[in-house]
Amino acid sequence: MRSNPLTACYPVLVLLALAGTSRAYPEFQRAISLSSGRTVNCAMCHVHSDGPEGNAPGQIGHLSLAEQTELGRARVAFEPNASVKSPILNAFGNHIINSLGRKQFLELRVTPGELANRLPKDSDMDGDGISDADELRAGTHPLIKSDGRPWLLFKANLSANLGQILLMLAATVLGLWGLQHLLHGFDVATRLEDDEEADEPHNSTPH
Amino acid sequence: MNAKEILSHTEKYLAERLPVEKMNYASMVQKKEVPVHGLAWGYYIGGLAMFFLMVQIATGLMLLFYYQPTVSDAHASVEYITEQVPAGALVRNVHAWASSLMIGSVLVHLLTAFAMKAFEKPRELTWVTGVLLLGITFGFGFTGYLLPWHQVAVNATKIGLQTIEQIGGYLPGPMAEWPRLVKEIIQGEASVGQATLSRFFAIHVIVLPLAIFGVLGFHLVSVQLHGMSKGVDEKPRRMEKFFPTFLLKDLRVWGIAFMVLFILGVCLPFESLFAYPLFEPFDAKGSTPDGIKPEWYFFWVYYPLELLPLWVILLGSAVLALVLLATPWIFQNTNRKTLRLVAIAAGIYLLVMTLFGENIYHLFKG
Repeated sequence: MRSNPLTACYPVLVLLALAGTSRAYPEFQRAISLSSGRTVNCAMCHVHSDGPEGNAPGQIGHLSLAEQTELGRARVAFEPNASVKSPILNAFGNHIINSLGRKQFLELRVTPGELANRLPKDSDMDGDGISDADELRAGTHPLIKSDGRPWLLFKANLSANLGQILLMLAATVLGLWGLQHLLHGFDVATRLEDDEEADEPHNSTPH
Repeated sequence: MNAKEILSHTEKYLAERLPVEKMNYASMVQKKEVPVHGLAWGYYIGGLAMFFLMVQIATGLMLLFYYQPTVSDAHASVEYITEQVPAGALVRNVHAWASSLMIGSVLVHLLTAFAMKAFEKPRELTWVTGVLLLGITFGFGFTGYLLPWHQVAVNATKIGLQTIEQIGGYLPGPMAEWPRLVKEIIQGEASVGQATLSRFFAIHVIVLPLAIFGVLGFHLVSVQLHGMSKGVDEKPRRMEKFFPTFLLKDLRVWGIAFMVLFILGVCLPFESLFAYPLFEPFDAKGSTPDGIKPEWYFFWVYYPLELLPLWVILLGSAVLALVLLATPWIFQNTNRKTLRLVAIAAGIYLLVMTLFGENIYHLFKG
């Protein structure tokens, strides 16, 4: 069976079409680093921490035919809610494109600090209790549960686990209370034994 | 002095330091008393360090069931523990927090023991074993840091091992080669890799635990045989029974420490104190990311190392190690007031370098 020459060339055509736009957008990375004072890298939105260019897994040079097709579809998702799943973006990167659409996202390159304000306020992809928008502002990873502003994480986890903490507190207090009684019991028993030993020679002395 | 006299002196010296005739229930428990005075809180810190060690052993054993000490799987296995294993994130987080709390309490224990002159005759060997325990604890911290095999772990270990090699530049003749050989023995290959990870893992889970059990055993027996040191110059307010009064108070302190540790383990991931790129798997081809530094308990030597010539730090560290080991003899005639001032100064230095070391570094280096 002969293959259609156009179909065979499709991956090359897609790559050529994307060549000019296959880079990450360092404006956002710079803006986040500046506002948060934290070091961030491309892994905040991309699969690979060095961004989309290259041949490593998660980068353009490593994509299969199906992934290239998906990437092409993602590249033209100019309006929000297109349900794209770009293979070079992680779940948060795709969430940005699906929430804003590529058109609005590209416009934000002029004012990259605004990106966090445009994201849905109630979205928390890693479930750590801090919204994705706040994580973006703080330069913490929206997909890593253990990464977040320490005080915010502490507050969120404390309120989420207050029941378990109170149970553990009760168990600790009761355990200590029991131990206290046990040790006092040992002490009293030992003293009684000593008293008996001290009394024994006196009692056994014949009158 | 002939051999017989030397032997006799040694026997007498050891008999005074290890009065084995007191090794019975009556002396070590029943009749043991603890002085009550203004610095008595210091008596609880050593027990606290031991509590954190027990937590480390328990959580470390749990982590051992899942951790893979290979460069290809180490990071993935740590991620698996955190994300897939039931309560894995809690166990790992408690292990991380308890390691810091253990090192912190060992440091405070050293300072309080120094301020209370707890190294006085016949407790010299108790002090020396305490200093050895501090070294072993730092060893646990240094070797454990590499095991998750992430960017900060591998790069910080590389810097630490390079520093050992640089010592050779200050040693004369053939001795100049020794630090390089030590580094190669620890590293196991040309660069930090599988051999290094295997060695650090073996040291962390076999060598150091065996060492700590031996030295801690001696330390604890010695403490129990001699009882608590007097601690202050003035007469103690009163004496309280070790069993059960002091022991119960000690257990209550352990209970509070356990709750603090549990709340930290549940609510505050240790990793949240660092930026996330540092916790990505180590990439040998990638560049060294910003923000690489050792754990906080090495800041007191790390930031001066960044600011001052290496020889100053080496000389300072060597003098410090010798002074610490020889403290019972160097400070045997120093009064407690002076010792307290020295301990407070050392504590302030440790605190300032730990909290503000980075700011001080930027102040001088721009």
